[in-house]
Amino acid sequence: MMISVKGEDGKPILGFNQEFIDELIELGGEDLLICYQCGSCTAICPLSEVFNISFRKTIKYAQLGLEEKLLKDTTPWLCYACGECSDTCPRNAKPTNILAAIRRYLTIKYDWTGLSRALYFSKKAEVAGISILAALTGLIIYLFHGPMVLERVELETFAPIHIVEPAGIITLLVLAGFLLSNIYRMYKFIMSDAYPGVKIPLSMYIKEFIKIIPTHFLTQRLMNKCRERKSYWYTHLLIFYGYALAFILFAVVLRYTQTNLPFLFVDPVSIFGILSFIFLLIGSSLAIYGRIRKTQPIWSFSHSTDWMFITLLLLVSLTGLLTGIFRTINWPLPTYIIYSIHLMLVVPFLALEVPFAKWSHLAYRPFAIYFHRLRELTYELAPVKEARRELIAQPITGGGG
Amino acid sequence: MVKPVLVIGGGIAGIQASLDLAEQNIPVYLVDKSPSIGGKMAQLDKTFPTLDCASCILTPKMSAVLRNKNIKLIMYSEVQEVKGRAGEFKVKILKKPTYVDWDKCTGCGSCVEKCPYKAPDEFNLGLTTRKAIYILFPQAVPRKAVIDAEHCVRLNPPPNLRERAKGRPLCGVCSMVCPAKAIDYDMKPEVIELEVAAIIVATGMELYDARNIPEYGYGKYDNVYTHLEFERLVSATGPTRGEIIRRSDKKHPKRIAWIQCVGSRDVRFNHYCSAFCCMAATKQAILAKEHMPEVDCTIYYMDIRAFGKGFNEFVERAKEEFGIKYIRGRVVRIDEDPDTKNLILTYEDTSTSYLKKDEYDMVVLAVAIRPNRVVPPLPLDLNEDGFIKLKDPYLDPVSTTVEGIFVAGVAAGAKDIPDSVTEASAAAARAALIAKGHLEEVVSLADGGGLDG
Repeated sequence: MMISVKGEDGKPILGFNQEFIDELIELGGEDLLICYQCGSCTAICPLSEVFNISFRKTIKYAQLGLEEKLLKDTTPWLCYACGECSDTCPRNAKPTNILAAIRRYLTIKYDWTGLSRALYFSKKAEVAGISILAALTGLIIYLFHGPMVLERVELETFAPIHIVEPAGIITLLVLAGFLLSNIYRMYKFIMSDAYPGVKIPLSMYIKEFIKIIPTHFLTQRLMNKCRERKSYWYTHLLIFYGYALAFILFAVVLRYTQTNLPFLFVDPVSIFGILSFIFLLIGSSLAIYGRIRKTQPIWSFSHSTDWMFITLLLLVSLTGLLTGIFRTINWPLPTYIIYSIHLMLVVPFLALEVPFAKWSHLAYRPFAIYFHRLRELTYELAPVKEARRELIAQPITGGGG
Repeated sequence: MVKPVLVIGGGIAGIQASLDLAEQNIPVYLVDKSPSIGGKMAQLDKTFPTLDCASCILTPKMSAVLRNKNIKLIMYSEVQEVKGRAGEFKVKILKKPTYVDWDKCTGCGSCVEKCPYKAPDEFNLGLTTRKAIYILFPQAVPRKAVIDAEHCVRLNPPPNLRERAKGRPLCGVCSMVCPAKAIDYDMKPEVIELEVAAIIVATGMELYDARNIPEYGYGKYDNVYTHLEFERLVSATGPTRGEIIRRSDKKHPKRIAWIQCVGSRDVRFNHYCSAFCCMAATKQAILAKEHMPEVDCTIYYMDIRAFGKGFNEFVERAKEEFGIKYIRGRVVRIDEDPDTKNLILTYEDTSTSYLKKDEYDMVVLAVAIRPNRVVPPLPLDLNEDGFIKLKDPYLDPVSTTVEGIFVAGVAAGAKDIPDSVTEASAAAARAALIAKGHLEEVVSLADGGGLDG
């Protein structure tokens, strides 16, 4: 059922959008309609001071089913889910979870292929996606692997670099293409709320990019603003740096790491390799434990895609670590097997997660900060200065639920 | 034959129920745990929405209770046990020792004047002190003195003094100065047994302890008050004789903020609405303006619940005539400036969606109410919040789940004075039927709703 008031362009401008609300509840915003709009979440949030944002308003948009408004909203990505709002909420509406649900919704909306929607709303699609990609990878390994030397470990002979490297690069380029197109869509959505008619000079685009993207991508330092629960940030960083390290070693400089030499002690790079998997293993184990025990507000609700992400990550790092160990102790056959399994996990993990599911927040978060700033710039550059405050803060009031 | 009715609680609801019964020639026992009737209303300065002086409305009723031959006051007493059934309840009441023979005491106050020991004044919520022998408040009914055994040196000598006294009794000043020779240090608790036809429970409320809500710093920051404390502060009979001054520096505040729903409508504390705070805050802001026209008054609220007759007009008047500001947004934190003892409120102004921090000289918290404890000794069912469960909230809203026991006022749920009075009269009407022996009409004894069987 959809009751709505249509605007001039025929799109709903105000209404009760039951379908959307049902979807958001399925995505984890269970208590969305309980919220009575007191603004405690905004007021307690350590980041609302930095960004001049209102979580209450975003939740109000969601309550009213104003999808158009949500698409333009950067607020959900500026939340780092420290959980103080859930501690403070007088209705126990768990704003942390509502914001997370909106992020899942936005991930679906930024994606134009529809794959993301399938992953988020169908567990079957998730399982099928992982299975098909794993099987496909397995088949390719079976068909194209090099000779298996059983006297000693010769990984490069088994998986020749001249095949693995181009395959990897092609995969990554395709995935990056998808992700970048999603980011572009995100940019268009957000900037549709910019001050009309203001052109930002290219130099400013570049300047702000350099100022914002690297630091926020690499440090996620806004999380450090969270007054409580620093451990959540540390876990996050552990996973991020484990991932980044593994990515550099086994994607960017693969030709130096995937050799026929025994792994450890021979090559200092391999120590970083082991380290990256240990980081990932600890980080993902902590997250899995946290999600099972619901130790943080953000972990109090786990969507199936969260489990998919964190479980795949754990298995990828475990098999990666085992490959390294087997190589080091010179145990040929198990090395080849576990390495194949490792690849059968890495491919679905990257292919599904990077552009279509949870991994994408790694990109969306810093870009949201960037686009938020760009939009702010249009108001700063606007000819009518007074218009700025009013336009940025479009008031929405009134009780909810 | 007309049987007596027991009314528990001498607040406005208990007073009204007692008067309604007594005027029908039904004997009433009115029990109150404190030394005076009057309850919470006696502590209020003015009432909404007419700004009538609370004492001016209440004290004539209190005197009427005292004068009425059909009402027997059982003060400073608590119900211990209730047995039996509608028409024949057997009640045990514990009368705490007052250490003053009230038959002799004339309420002259000589003892209070001369008593050398002090204790926190509960009527003024600890904002000031009273003597160890005291009359609860100047308009107390009955106007009789009571010794606070805990703070009286004679009755509860501190160990160091006891050693020095070597067995001799200490102090005894009140006994020496009392012209009526009413002081009796050896008074013992006494159990009174009564047989009554019906019981009206009007036990009222207490305030939720705002110290449980750490973000507002009540009890830690000097200039954060509860709304009942503020009521004493503006009252001409209060500790400052109606001057609004800050606890920290005794100066008049220039900016006062009221924070609504403190511990109410908050699942972490009490999920219900305390019903009167919106109007009480509006009234208090108007009173502050009347006392100090230049003061800046702001009320932080989520919803203004001005549902009663003339209530909404009262709020409109507060805005337009008195310039009181209403800001929609829940304050999440109060910080104290350590130098000035001013208070900084953090909130989102939900009409502009901006995070704000505002500074005030004084903050008044609309703290939630809690029902006073009645179970045990009363054999009643309570709802999940501790209020007395009603037999039928729509068609029998003054009957409890026990036949013959009725409820009036806040004991059954948060409400304001007019609603409490209305319920009191309703409960009195129901109890009167039983007292006059029309038991069959109201109570079906077929199912034997007794308490001891």
